[in-house]
Amino acid sequence: MMLEVKNLVKEFGGLVANGDISFELRRGEILGLIGPNGAGKSTLFNCIAGYYKPTGGNILFEGKDITGWPPHQVTREGIARTFQGMKIMPNLTVEENVMIGAFCRTGNRQIARKEAWEILDLMGLTGEAEALPAGLPIAVQKRIELARAIATRPRLLMLDEMAAGLNPLETKEIIQTLQRIKEEKKLTLFLTEHVMEFIMTVSERVIVMAAGKKIAEGSPVEVARQEKVIEAYLGERYAKGR
Amino acid sequence: MRQLFIDIFFFGDRPHFERIGFLIFIIIVLVFPWMVTSAYGRAVMIKFLLFALFGLGWNLIGGYGGQVDLGQAKNVGFGAYATALMMVWWKTPFWITVIPGIVIAAAESFAVAYPMFRLKGHYFAIATLCVALVWKELFIFWDWTGGARGVEIPIRSGADFVYMQFNSPIYYHYFILFLFLLQFFFVNWFRKSKLGYEVQAVRDNEDAAASLGINVYRTKVINYTIAGGLGALGGSFMAVYYLYIDPDAVMPLDLSILIAMTVMVGGAGSIWGPIIGAAILIPLDMYLGAWLGAQKRLGIDFMIYAMIMMVIAAKEPKGVWGIIERVRKKGAR
Repeated sequence: MMLEVKNLVKEFGGLVANGDISFELRRGEILGLIGPNGAGKSTLFNCIAGYYKPTGGNILFEGKDITGWPPHQVTREGIARTFQGMKIMPNLTVEENVMIGAFCRTGNRQIARKEAWEILDLMGLTGEAEALPAGLPIAVQKRIELARAIATRPRLLMLDEMAAGLNPLETKEIIQTLQRIKEEKKLTLFLTEHVMEFIMTVSERVIVMAAGKKIAEGSPVEVARQEKVIEAYLGERYAKGR
Repeated sequence: MRQLFIDIFFFGDRPHFERIGFLIFIIIVLVFPWMVTSAYGRAVMIKFLLFALFGLGWNLIGGYGGQVDLGQAKNVGFGAYATALMMVWWKTPFWITVIPGIVIAAAESFAVAYPMFRLKGHYFAIATLCVALVWKELFIFWDWTGGARGVEIPIRSGADFVYMQFNSPIYYHYFILFLFLLQFFFVNWFRKSKLGYEVQAVRDNEDAAASLGINVYRTKVINYTIAGGLGALGGSFMAVYYLYIDPDAVMPLDLSILIAMTVMVGGAGSIWGPIIGAAILIPLDMYLGAWLGAQKRLGIDFMIYAMIMMVIAAKEPKGVWGIIERVRKKGAR
């Protein structure tokens, strides 16, 4: 088992953002996490990645309890992530951004640079290597974030809203890239999205969240048919009226 | 070994451009004392190199680290007092006094960094300022450091490479140039090292840095510690150059601010920024001050000085180096 989340609870003051969430993530699979805005997807992500300390419950990565670990230790353990609003280092070139990811596993600049270039090549970013990220299109910036995360040599890659802000063509391209690097780097993927097409075509299994609770789990086709899921997305009346 | 040599002495991203700049700079500073014979001119040059050296050290925390530190004078003070006091008490040679100066400054920085990096932005800047002021008051208050009277280093006769006392400013020129180059090549290595990149990643985005396996807090503390140690080196030079130090001379608030200003005017986060900044501000300060002072118009020099800094701060936040970079990029296209 790659990742086990057991009875995870995260409260902010009185607000329960994640109430008793449990699920498992198998090695090599692509698990999607969907839900309407405010369902608690990002909170769950941040709890696993170490940005939030869970109020209760446990997170096990490859059998090791990583509950409440700080983010840098989670990354070193083998979980990399991207951010919903992109967080690229603006004063460093694309190459340097990816190199810093590679520095996670080595102290040697030559090795880090070599690795960065391999990943830039894989992501089709060699043309932008010397550029500063600020002026580049969003689709390219998303690739930089992805490249940087992969450079830390993760076994589990968590992608937060990868398709947000991309047009259909760019979305298709990034799906292809993702599938290619998943095979090449033998990754397990965990992604959140509220763009349904993206997650339904990519994931093998889907978890649905609404109002801080897990309401469904299964294959994309199964899940899409469940009343609770339709209700969460489209409202109670629509679900009943069908 | 070979790689270390390359990392220290070769320039990084734009080697050609930087190499030419460095060559021009080094030729100017090498021949300067033979071209300019006036004592005042030579003193200006020595002060320029001293502040370029201070700026290089401050650039670690303020430029690469992006944390505005307004207390670098305390580290200058630690270096100056370590050298002066050890020379007075035990007649310790200069080169040995440098080490405790750096170690004390680094250790103190490490100790105060721990609580201080719980603060961010302006609050951090104010905390550094307060810590430096507290140290200055302590050095005024303490008797064993000479108190407000300061410390005088006994004068020796002739050129002395053990206590670094010389009759001619030419010696001091090459002495400070040597220290400057030492620090310059250290920073040149640092900015391309793993730690250097981690520090810059933390400056640009803390969350992203943490997601790449960087311990944000630890990186800040180590960076502040190293920057503190580097500040002490220039302090040791000040002790043997002026031969007399007191808290007002080596650890005032003005010094902290001037160090920060040289880097900001020149361009924070670039190895050339502190050099350019010192090359503008130090001659301006000394010549303008002397010229207007002679006309009994004291104070006007500060106004002009402040105006130049305001214009640069408002027009180009990345300093003069930012302007050079922009022009160069336009030319390349």
